[in-house]
Amino acid sequence: MNTAERAHHLAAAAERSAFLGRTTADDLLELVRLELGHEAALDDFVQRGEHFARAMAPRSILHIVSGNTPAAGLQSLIRGLLLGSHNLAKLPAAGLSELAQFREALPRELAENVEFSFDLPEEWLARAEAAIVFGSDETIAHFRGRVRSDQTFIAHGHRLSFGVIFDDPAFASVADAARDASLFDQQGCLSPQVFYVRGEARLYAERLAGEMAHCDALEPRATISLSETLAIRTAREEFAFRAANGEPVQVWQSSGSTAWTVVFDSARGFPHSPLNRFVFVKPLPDDLAPELQEVRMHLSCAGVFPATIEHARLLTALGVSRVCPIGRMQTPPWTWHQDGQPSLGALVRWADFEQ
Amino acid sequence: MIVEAMSDVIAEYRELETRILTAIREESDEAECDPLWLEVFRFQRRWNQPYANICATRAEPRTWREIPAAPLTAFKRTALSVVPAKLVAKTFLISGTTGESPGTHHFFDTRLYEYSVQYGWARLGLPPRPRFVLIANEADAPRSSLSHMMLALGINAGSQRYFLDADGRLRFEELENALEEKIAAAKPVALLGTALVFLNLFEQLDRRRFILPAGSFAMETGGYKGSGREIPKPELYAMFGEYLELAPDDIINEYSMTELSSQFYARGLGRAHEGAPWVRAIVINPETSDEVKVGETGVLRIFDLANLGSVLAIETQDLAIRREHGFELLGRDPGALPRGCSRVADERVRR
Repeated sequence: MNTAERAHHLAAAAERSAFLGRTTADDLLELVRLELGHEAALDDFVQRGEHFARAMAPRSILHIVSGNTPAAGLQSLIRGLLLGSHNLAKLPAAGLSELAQFREALPRELAENVEFSFDLPEEWLARAEAAIVFGSDETIAHFRGRVRSDQTFIAHGHRLSFGVIFDDPAFASVADAARDASLFDQQGCLSPQVFYVRGEARLYAERLAGEMAHCDALEPRATISLSETLAIRTAREEFAFRAANGEPVQVWQSSGSTAWTVVFDSARGFPHSPLNRFVFVKPLPDDLAPELQEVRMHLSCAGVFPATIEHARLLTALGVSRVCPIGRMQTPPWTWHQDGQPSLGALVRWADFEQ
Repeated sequence: MIVEAMSDVIAEYRELETRILTAIREESDEAECDPLWLEVFRFQRRWNQPYANICATRAEPRTWREIPAAPLTAFKRTALSVVPAKLVAKTFLISGTTGESPGTHHFFDTRLYEYSVQYGWARLGLPPRPRFVLIANEADAPRSSLSHMMLALGINAGSQRYFLDADGRLRFEELENALEEKIAAAKPVALLGTALVFLNLFEQLDRRRFILPAGSFAMETGGYKGSGREIPKPELYAMFGEYLELAPDDIINEYSMTELSSQFYARGLGRAHEGAPWVRAIVINPETSDEVKVGETGVLRIFDLANLGSVLAIETQDLAIRREHGFELLGRDPGALPRGCSRVADERVRR
């Protein structure tokens, strides 16, 4: 099966996973073209300057998939399959049914290139030519210590994302902001935890609360653990206490549940969200750099409104690796640089042929 | 005017204190009934402004269960006290997570605290034993509520010796010698300490074992704080058996916190924590705020009459299972933080 055929089958299977966003065969082939210079670079030698080169995919890739974000794990798997590699996916204890469903939707030849396991067989670690790890700093450090120097190691650590509303007096971005903050219940590295708003920030928070309620009505949050519920409750109590005691804080929340929470907080700094649809709104200061200083190394995506190249320049200088319009934070194109890195390009090795 | 207000608050405090002391001493019916609880609540709301501000956003309580609870964070953000700073006789520090300023629990008077400790302990019906305390002496740790608790316990105790240095280090050899003496004389002892200090003791003992005389017991209290360590209770209790020859039923767990003035105790494994009539716990569903049914899990909310000078109703951040009598403590559950690739505050703060 060549790259184009794989792209075709993968796109067909991806259709059933709505959360992946648009995934066509052309999107996947575009990714190959942009990362490897030629659509057929994996299939045979292609012209490269005065000689020829061929991209050699790892024979097998180990994916250490963490947590409850199906999108990240599935994208990683799709990229591995697109390369033509054999894929060994270590699933979290709670499982990821989306990955199994995806495999079932593949033709046999591709499905055979996917293996799942809840634990990590030593043999997998030995066999994999590349390892992709999603997880906490501790998880990453653990696996980094276990791979050999000849194995490619790619780590996706935990990330923080946020939104910046530069100019939106009509509150046109509010519904999109609520969607970004509700999708995946903020479990994803692209999920916004705070929106910095220039202008009527408090009013923006109030509008956002209305839209969070709307998102909840359309698509309720997934079941969360008692501890997660408690984390939300504790955070709500703290902000309610601060609001009652005259601090410039206001809380909007679902009543009788922890389904969603919006906190307006004028205090400086990057806030600490307990996640699961708990989002902050803060006034946008003239200089955002001090707000982000503490978390600079962990920044991922900034959703902006409006999405202009000036805003992108400003935010990337502050450490952000992706800038996109509010409303599209959770659906990056296939060609994006996850964590600022090439995705296919980092996995392949090149073979050259000079005639 | 201010002087008058101060004498008002003191007079009210003394009047309520007398009633609570009587209730504690006599285990009178008054602690069972709502009026005293509601009077203490109204007194606190009258004099404790930050608390009054929370109460203003809540419904008027009709029973003790409905008294608005202050979050733990309130102790970190304000001086949650009915008396002004100059009347504060004692302040305990509440340790915070990294990056957080420590909280404070201010006392106008610690008499109620001491009574509550002593009478709460007496209810356990433990035999009098020489006490070996593996907790800092109050003189070395005047801001520690646990050290003050030990001081209060020691007031009427026959013999109470401390084995922890001012810097928190266990005086291991001294303790070994003291234990050997008691063993040689077949005199049972009581060991009191935090779970962490016991764990350290067991590790230092290595291959050595002490067979404590029958009738000995231990009290351990929560506390792996800041150590990054925690072992399941059955494992810890197994170590008590292995190193000290204490059976699970010879071990009492104490549950309290600096924000409270009273304690809950559970003996052995698999038993619920219970408090005295003047300190109560209910288990709340964190999602709905309703009280859970027996057998269900939720967050602990505690009502402590001995907290007269601050706020009697406190919502903890501990999970517990409601039992017929009391609750089974689960504690904070760090394993259940969101597991996605979104970075969580706690993890960031630890750095």
